[in-house]
Amino acid sequence: MSAPAFELPAAHEAHEPPEARGLERDGVRLMVASRSDRSIRHARFRDLPSLLAAGDLLVVNTSATVPAALPAALADGTPVHVHVATPAPHLPDGNWWVVELRSAGGAEPLRRVRAPDRVTLPAGAVAELVAPYAAGSRLWLARVRGERSLADVLAGHGRPIRYGYVPGIWPLQAYQTVFAREPGSAEMPSAGRPFTATLVTRLVAAGVLFAPLTLHAGLSSPERHETPLPERYAVPASTARLVNAVRAWGGRVVAVGTTVVRALETVAAPDGTIAAGAGWTALVVTAQRGLRAVDGLLTGWHEPRASHLALLEAAAGDELLARCYREALRHGYLWHEFGDSHLILP
Amino acid sequence: MPTAIVTGASRGLGLALARALSAEGWRLVIDARGAAALQHAAGELRSGAAIVALAGDVADPAHRRALMDAAGAPIDLLVNNASVLGPSPQPALTDYPLDVLEHVYRVNALAPLALAQLVLPRLSTGGCIVNVTSDAAVEPYPGWGGYGSSKAALEQLTAVLAAEHPDVRIYAVDPGDMNTALHREAAPGEDLTGLPSPQESVPGLLALIAGREPSGRYRARDVGTVAA
Repeated sequence: MSAPAFELPAAHEAHEPPEARGLERDGVRLMVASRSDRSIRHARFRDLPSLLAAGDLLVVNTSATVPAALPAALADGTPVHVHVATPAPHLPDGNWWVVELRSAGGAEPLRRVRAPDRVTLPAGAVAELVAPYAAGSRLWLARVRGERSLADVLAGHGRPIRYGYVPGIWPLQAYQTVFAREPGSAEMPSAGRPFTATLVTRLVAAGVLFAPLTLHAGLSSPERHETPLPERYAVPASTARLVNAVRAWGGRVVAVGTTVVRALETVAAPDGTIAAGAGWTALVVTAQRGLRAVDGLLTGWHEPRASHLALLEAAAGDELLARCYREALRHGYLWHEFGDSHLILP
Repeated sequence: MPTAIVTGASRGLGLALARALSAEGWRLVIDARGAAALQHAAGELRSGAAIVALAGDVADPAHRRALMDAAGAPIDLLVNNASVLGPSPQPALTDYPLDVLEHVYRVNALAPLALAQLVLPRLSTGGCIVNVTSDAAVEPYPGWGGYGSSKAALEQLTAVLAAEHPDVRIYAVDPGDMNTALHREAAPGEDLTGLPSPQESVPGLLALIAGREPSGRYRARDVGTVAA
């Protein structure tokens, strides 16, 4: 993989929501890269109506963020944080979850735990670490027992997951997009965050189409280069029909977020036709695989070494993508879920 | 979606069989001692199938219970494939450290029986148990006394279990010589590249699993040719 290798200076990290920096959600910066003429332009997110054409389709993720970080304690009383990634796929009952243990406050991953350690959660719930889930010992397959479901415990005691670069605690609302409908994402599908109701209205009035799907995002794992884990998705029949129709008349299908790319490409036939579908996807989109159903991508700025960069390379090509990232560093774009945006067009 | 437990599925025959079962649409619960290799295997298999990977040692009762919990019920197939060789190179029986031999028996004979004990009450009608054995269980190869006798014990456990459960198919399957990590461990320094890959033993295993052959001992490569 030749995804851009770079170091991310702290000055490029968005430490708080743009609203706290005096901006509207749609006031964040937007870099527009075009594959056809290899051009790069600088704009604001709210300029989208002039950057897209009537008949283009924005496919958005309607998954809502759940407060997936819980205060917890190890058997010896050590306070820790548990990040709940997803229900565990393909297990016989609803008590299996994929979790990550982090230091109290959540800043650092915790590595000194082993199966079958027990972790005490709020509301009398207990998580038993059954086995490492993936990539060594960072994520665990855990069996959760308690009087209330873990979903209930999260709703009552959870906070949105945050990493070291976000020092403040922001309300769950700061982690919801205007499209959020069905709770399920451990981390916000953040590409959709800059959209506002007003901006969506302006886009609709300009003839830009919208279609929803759901992909519940797991943990992004900022510490290490890891393969994306299985995630739950649902692509409705109406969205599949609309995507196919837009491609048939030559419009552009623009995925809002890498989550949307993963879901659409999961249900895409080799010729790019998509079908409705739902379930777990383990698809890893790379430049080698390429994109079948997606023409453009609206996304944020991704970590060096993040697996998402391979997906971006599939959308932009390695040379243009590397140029975008150099430009973004030079022009002071901001990274992460509260940062600036990147539109890659065909 | 039928459910199978395949032990020792991070490499060799276990991984080859898991690949084939996942291609046939099975839900798989797999294990291996090494978490990293297991997760690598699971990552590959996930693209095609429902897969649950639990790192652990089949000799550990808590791990065996976790496998059962993860499989749920009914279970349609148990493949006891995880094995240890013992010391490499393998000592003659006169020099064999008995504590190591105990461990070899624990993993190769007792753990498969323990898993069978847990699985039998949950086995679906028509389901089966496959215990992977070796020609070293039958032939008195010098140097193979530890591993071979553990597999001989496994074979007799298989045979008696089958006699006690006439309505269940319980097989001991000899996959034949294969170029696997276990075999390379047994023959350090020897060139095994001429041996068949474990993949070549898979069709016979699949034929047994899907078929109606009576319980007993089979050689995987013979089943493949007879069934064809």
